[in-house]
Amino acid sequence: MADYDRRGSGGGGSSYNPKKRRYRDDDDHDRRGPRRRFDAPPHVRVRKQLVAIAENPMRPWHEEVQAIATLFTDNWDDELLRGNFVDLVLQLAVEQPLKTPFVAAVVLLANAARPQVVDMLLAKLAALVEDKIAAGEWREVKLYLKLLGCLQGCLEGEGVFPVLEELFARAVDLQTASSEDTIGTEIVKIILLTLPYVMVAAPGQWAQKAADLMEKTEIIAAEPHTLQTLIEPFQPGADEENPPQPQSLIGLLQSQLQNEANNGWALSCLPRPWELPLEEVEQRTKLDDAAKHALPTITIPQTVVAGPRPLFPEIYFSVYANQDVESVPPLANVAACLIRDALLDTINVLHFNRNITARHLIDLDCYFSPRTFAARATPFDKLRDIEPPKSTWKPEDVAVDAVFSQLFQLPTPEQKLVYYHSVLTEACKLAPAAIAPSLGRAIRYLYRNTPRLDLELSSRFMDWFAHHLSNFGFTWKWTEWVDDVYLSDAHPRKAFIAGALDKEIRLSFAQRIKNTLPDPYKELISPEKDKDVPNFKFADDNTPFAAEGREIAGLLKRKADDEEIDAVIQRIQSQAIDREIDALVASTDVFVTCVLHVGSKSLSHVLAAIERTKDRLADAGAASDAARGQIISATMAYWSAHPGVALSIIEKLLNYSILTPETVITWALVGRAGNTRGEALSVAHVYEMVFNTVIKVTGRVRQLVVKPSSVEEETDEAAAETRDREIKAMRALFAAIEDALASWATGSKDEMIEASEGAGDSEGEKLVRKWGERWLRVFRRRAAIEEAFLAEAEKERARKAQAQEEGARNGGVEGEAEVQGLATQMDTEGEVA
Amino acid sequence: MRGPRATVERLDQPSAYFNSRNKRRRFDSKDQRDGDDDTNMQNDQPEEDPLKDATTLYVGNLSFYTTEEQVYELFSKCGEIKRLVMGLDRFNKTPCGFCFVEYYTHQDALDCMKYIGGTKLDERIIRTDLDPGFTEGRQYGRGKSGGQVRDEYREDFDEGRGGLGRAIQPPPRARERETRDYDDDFGRLK
Repeated sequence: MADYDRRGSGGGGSSYNPKKRRYRDDDDHDRRGPRRRFDAPPHVRVRKQLVAIAENPMRPWHEEVQAIATLFTDNWDDELLRGNFVDLVLQLAVEQPLKTPFVAAVVLLANAARPQVVDMLLAKLAALVEDKIAAGEWREVKLYLKLLGCLQGCLEGEGVFPVLEELFARAVDLQTASSEDTIGTEIVKIILLTLPYVMVAAPGQWAQKAADLMEKTEIIAAEPHTLQTLIEPFQPGADEENPPQPQSLIGLLQSQLQNEANNGWALSCLPRPWELPLEEVEQRTKLDDAAKHALPTITIPQTVVAGPRPLFPEIYFSVYANQDVESVPPLANVAACLIRDALLDTINVLHFNRNITARHLIDLDCYFSPRTFAARATPFDKLRDIEPPKSTWKPEDVAVDAVFSQLFQLPTPEQKLVYYHSVLTEACKLAPAAIAPSLGRAIRYLYRNTPRLDLELSSRFMDWFAHHLSNFGFTWKWTEWVDDVYLSDAHPRKAFIAGALDKEIRLSFAQRIKNTLPDPYKELISPEKDKDVPNFKFADDNTPFAAEGREIAGLLKRKADDEEIDAVIQRIQSQAIDREIDALVASTDVFVTCVLHVGSKSLSHVLAAIERTKDRLADAGAASDAARGQIISATMAYWSAHPGVALSIIEKLLNYSILTPETVITWALVGRAGNTRGEALSVAHVYEMVFNTVIKVTGRVRQLVVKPSSVEEETDEAAAETRDREIKAMRALFAAIEDALASWATGSKDEMIEASEGAGDSEGEKLVRKWGERWLRVFRRRAAIEEAFLAEAEKERARKAQAQEEGARNGGVEGEAEVQGLATQMDTEGEVA
Repeated sequence: MRGPRATVERLDQPSAYFNSRNKRRRFDSKDQRDGDDDTNMQNDQPEEDPLKDATTLYVGNLSFYTTEEQVYELFSKCGEIKRLVMGLDRFNKTPCGFCFVEYYTHQDALDCMKYIGGTKLDERIIRTDLDPGFTEGRQYGRGKSGGQVRDEYREDFDEGRGGLGRAIQPPPRARERETRDYDDDFGRLK
């Protein structure tokens, strides 16, 4: 761990440190030791204090902001400080968004003594908003507008409103042009999330203006987006219980803000650090009389762009819905969306330091108005005893809920899933007593709802769960689910248990995991799992081709010539023909099994074995569809106790093009599913195999699609050809998946009809049909998303071509630079996906 | 490298260890970490950051019993793994507690620094460090007895890493899990 613990909590100047090593505790003391005391220069102190603003819950806000503002204005002549201050304010707005109101308060107080600072800030801020809108970096737009909103009190005229109105005009244009537009939706979200900050910054003045704006946004916000059904977290039409209606984020915000407007814009959760206590009469008057400033013009381009991240409508998701005591803000309260929004920005912005992210989450009650939350670490059962006007919202639940909303975001969250895992791990390490019980209740909610959870999310849940436990000694109260061990394997909850245990074992080893389980679960872990190296079936003479299998293994081990192996393969094939079985399948099975056996010691061993035999493997696979399928069958059979290893091998075989993506799809959804009457659809690693394969294919297509076009025309054409071919192949793959799954989902698969003997309504068949539906939803969504991506890329190409043309007309240089910029953006997008 | 200093420290920076070694090795090429090979690190072009496009990570503090498959399972969460090289005892050819993970992209390696370094694998907190790239020979421990230098004189008993330092006490009996024997050249890719 070393460095992770030794690193301090960031910020601060790079002062000389005589000690060689620093530990976290050191931050609480004076690092320089008692003898080297000196006051750091003002710009260092202001930076340090501003970066850490509001972190200390013991310090009253008004004191802290006043102290920083005074330190700043007292040293106004320090040029370094003046410039740094403005830049730091802007940086904090996008790096630590929870602190924006507090930073704004410092600016407002500084304005009373040195009004020039606001002009300096506004000039830069307006330019940044303009740039970010032009680049389609919508989150930055939102965060800068939030800062601007907090400064509404010192703005002339209508302040931020004209900007919001003009933004809205763009949203209307976009939404009228296309019902599938997502930029307009994003803009409306930004407007609605900025409004509350404007209202608290300048209380009582803008109610009419706000009402006018909200009347307009209503039209867009109230209408469910056409893409919404695609990204809802629960399988629609699930008959059990009555699931809460999925809420579109902007629809929810619109109605919450309406409530708030009816309540005179109380917005009680938002902090108002610029409000000074009554006894500070002098300061209050100064603040009231401080200069007002004109907001420099912010020009919004006629056509706005989607920017580097693909936009989708958002759904409000909570793992603490429907509890008997409200441990998170209820859906009707605007606090639900405002706190969530600030936390999500914090989480996604701070991906480069999960420790700080976790710290902000744990400390979240520092950044909202006092009494918004119950005391930290209040046990859930104790919430019941809290008297009504006091809040029952558990800060830990609110924090955990926010992370889960990302983990369960469809189609994909902004950062890699493992980032959100790591945030939860760190939060749990920082405050185990507070966070662990909240996680426990989240896990129970998700487990209960596994059957109707979207299958992709269900799989993410399993992956997180196993990974999380691996960081905390694999302890979980398995006893409470013990009844589910006796459910049929195809039951979603049983499938979850089996899948989660397999994932745990992959991160650890079977015996270790067994030791963490109550007895009934131990049956689920076969004795084969204890073996590092599986049995070699040809060691047993009763296995057909046993002698040949042993012979080939021997030849492979001593790296014999191809001819020697050829001879044995020939023998197998002629014997197979005599026995009237598929000769190619028989020889492929023997050969692949032998390669796996020879490489059984570790993944590097098997990869070396494949590398050495890749030509023969490729030939075997190319011989027939059945033989290619047999490569997978043999791999899955040999590593049946350790499917994770089998999946890694299959991934590499795909890389070598020994297998094709279609082989994997057919093997899983037709072959394996058929042999098990559809039950294979409930097996986590079968899903994982298909999903990974699809991601590999779509990832490659995306890479080709966004590849910046080359200079030469000819290679351009060749690239376009490859691209079109790969796109066609991807579409064919999705069609094949659709085809195979649709028949499972409707129960029209031959194997199901045969098995049902007419009735077709047994419990097992119902389960299989449901699995079919869940699979179908995942891959239909994937297909739709890829099509959307292709359409967007096509638009981008057209735009580029146009820019190039215009560039050529205008002498070239400017247009060229723009094209370059777009290309880099697209590149990063490809990486994220 | 990317504009003004962030208000929050980044976790995807090379460790102080790498930086200090990197500085020092210009003067003293013998002083290096286990598995390090500095042939490409000589001071011909000191300005070029060798980690600018690094796709490889050095992974340390593994248990001797941690397998490649476990490393794969965890590290794949940041992206597909291109190559994995287990660190081996120079004499026994058994894992000695470190490895190199190579990704296809620099971004995956950075993400690994951010999301996996400092978390647990096989119930040990592992450390990751950006690495200029694996070269043959670096897979072996450089300690006197074949393992990593840090395991020579270690005074705390670490069951996952062979008990006490080997220079202090001979290794204890084998446990329920066996370390893998890599003593054949089969699994080695060039």
